[in-house]
Amino acid sequence: MTLYVLCFALFLVGLYGLLTKRDLVKIILSSGIMGYACNLMIVLFGYRHGGAYPILEKGKEAAAMVDPLPQALVLTSIVIELGATALLAALAIRLFQKYRTYDITKIRRLSG
Amino acid sequence: MDGKPGMTVIVKTIVRIIVAMIFLYGFYIMLHGHLSPGGGFGGGVVLALGFLSVLLAYGREEALKWLRLGFLRDLEHATPLLFLGVGVIGMAWGSAFLANILSKGKLFALLSSGIILPLNIVIGIKVGLSLFLVVLALAEFDLNEGADQ
Repeated sequence: MTLYVLCFALFLVGLYGLLTKRDLVKIILSSGIMGYACNLMIVLFGYRHGGAYPILEKGKEAAAMVDPLPQALVLTSIVIELGATALLAALAIRLFQKYRTYDITKIRRLSG
Repeated sequence: MDGKPGMTVIVKTIVRIIVAMIFLYGFYIMLHGHLSPGGGFGGGVVLALGFLSVLLAYGREEALKWLRLGFLRDLEHATPLLFLGVGVIGMAWGSAFLANILSKGKLFALLSSGIILPLNIVIGIKVGLSLFLVVLALAEFDLNEGADQ
């Protein structure tokens, strides 16, 4: 249970940064932290105390193992997060080209 | 730096020695994806880091002379077609899309996964080149372009 609470605390760190920071780079990093917290939570759901890693090896007895399905899902999620982060970085660069600043309180013109 | 692009001669020499090992490690992770942790994505990321070390150490112009960007871009664009081709081969000779047509070999051998091994290689190339091209595209952005003030 403590692990889940810590995981949620990590998510809240990301949410805090996303809501209060004014720098676009910090906002992108905060969204990344939120994503990592979600990934960690999903992997933790599949965790089993004392379980072996879910890989078949030579001379290894079949025993209780952690659930490999969340790990496979999280791998996909990491890839998508990477793409989203790259997209956010590209958008931030375009905004910098337009407004010459990363401060979101100074980005207020609606021109295209 | 004395006007030359890239980092100092120490970094360049180390990168020249180590980049082959990085690529070897990436291909090892790709080829052993069905036996140990790793697979196409992990190996591809290691390959991309190898490309990036060259890019960082030698600077953009020198690295792109060595890497041939057009070929890499075409290869990256062609990898979905390769994946589709492997899948259609499974459809043609096997039962369904991505069906296994290769021998499954002996358990724990390197060639024991049938069609998964070529798919891992295709995915590894795709991921490695995609990551490298994403970083290169972000680095190519001209921050002063299109400024109105």
